[in-house]
Amino acid sequence: MFSMPLPLFAEQIINGIVLGSMYALVASGLTLIWGTMRMLNFAHGEFYMLGGYFFFLLISSLGLPPALAVPLAISLVFLIGLAVQRLAVHPLLGRPQWEFSTLVATLGVSIFLQNAALHIWGERFKTVPYFINGTIDIVGMRLSYQRLLILAVAVVAMLAMWYLLRRTRFGMALRATAMDRDAAMLYGVNVYRVFTITFGIAAALAGLAATMLASINSISPWMGAPLMLKGFVVVVLGGLGSFPGAIVGGIIIGIVETLGVITWSSQWREVISFTVLILILWFRPWGLFGVKES
Amino acid sequence: MSRLELSRVSAFYGDAQALFDIDLVVEPGEIVAIIGSNGAGKTTVLRTISGLVRPREGSLQYDGRDLASTHPWSVVSHGIAHVPEGRRLFRDMSVQENLMMGAYHRNNAADGKVDLDRVYTLFPRLAERRDQLAGTMSGGEQQMAAIGRALMARPRLLLLDEPSLGLAPKIIETVFKTIREINSEGVGIVLVEQSAQLALETAQRAYLMENGRIVKTGSASDLMNDDAVREAYLGL
Repeated sequence: MFSMPLPLFAEQIINGIVLGSMYALVASGLTLIWGTMRMLNFAHGEFYMLGGYFFFLLISSLGLPPALAVPLAISLVFLIGLAVQRLAVHPLLGRPQWEFSTLVATLGVSIFLQNAALHIWGERFKTVPYFINGTIDIVGMRLSYQRLLILAVAVVAMLAMWYLLRRTRFGMALRATAMDRDAAMLYGVNVYRVFTITFGIAAALAGLAATMLASINSISPWMGAPLMLKGFVVVVLGGLGSFPGAIVGGIIIGIVETLGVITWSSQWREVISFTVLILILWFRPWGLFGVKES
Repeated sequence: MSRLELSRVSAFYGDAQALFDIDLVVEPGEIVAIIGSNGAGKTTVLRTISGLVRPREGSLQYDGRDLASTHPWSVVSHGIAHVPEGRRLFRDMSVQENLMMGAYHRNNAADGKVDLDRVYTLFPRLAERRDQLAGTMSGGEQQMAAIGRALMARPRLLLLDEPSLGLAPKIIETVFKTIREINSEGVGIVLVEQSAQLALETAQRAYLMENGRIVKTGSASDLMNDDAVREAYLGL
């Protein structure tokens, strides 16, 4: 790694940040759901997968430009997220053992959506072209416009999320619900509505990541599972329920993976990210930004 | 007017019955205390009034409205604010954000600002700490913030659960002085307290609970002079 010329090294760091920013989008949805509802969503990878397919269909069948196809695709995934929460999760909340039953229900949704995708779209991998071609040379680094665009979109999405959480009435309600569900209810927050919308937002973030990565990775019914696994690594690393934790954790995993793949080989990708996770949990079992349970 | 009436209310946690045939009335502007030992069901009565626990039987009326069929998040907009046991502030929000959450249901920023000034006048300490995270304050300051948050809701009935818990005597005095001030503006109060002495000194009427039932009721001075109450709860 250290025999690498400096510009190449810096280039890889930036590629790692780009990849990590997408992990952060996926993970921030998982962490939002955990933070507000205290449940794990095993259908999260399928929200990502649907984002990829919707984007592909809007581009290839309807011929829409990416600037229209991206917002449309994530809006559709948002609606799917709302529907999944209302139909599969909401009826179980507050019942005995809901922590476990919601987990199983989302696992069921995941299997259903994977097979539905397989049935409807087939098993052939789909690809979409780059939004913009070409590369730019900055101080000896060669960076593709596509990756820089992804990074810009991720930054805008994170700032929008920050604004939503910190500066809007809904964000207040969401944070209050996450901190103390009963107290939020006592002061007028319909926490069940917050849960549903949070699910939709989380789904939309995963969908956004898929539209961004669609031209780099390919689209298939199974594309969600590895990303969800990575999302869980990031969430645990950053601290369950912590939004900044998901961002920093995502970027750490993205950089470490990218450098590791260059230094050793891509087969080591998962080994590397799990090693980092285990090392960090060794010293901070509650994750980087998590709160130590008392 | 805004009269609260529970009649023959029973409630359960899972299969365990927590409340048996509760009859309780709070007239407008009155301070009513509920005393009793730990686990007697005092907190559950408050949680039932504010909708966090659903009564299985009996009726629950406020201001002529059936509270038992009201969503828990709508209760506050009918004029009932609940200061739960242990304050339950939003710990990673600032003091000011916590107070603004009290006005959340009204969805009117301008009104919220007016009430904020009122709460800061009542609790100057909170004004000094407005940007501090609520979870990092002392117990007394947290209790003031919790009461302040409830006042931001413009209640006509205030439910206070163990406001003295874990506070130094000096602070308790301040908190209870404030409670009387709030009441003098016409706000009805249901005061749940383990310290029977304090509760009976503050309230006009009181209910004594044991094992999920109301076993005695009367004016605060009647209960203060009741031999059984004196022996079991006042340590006299």
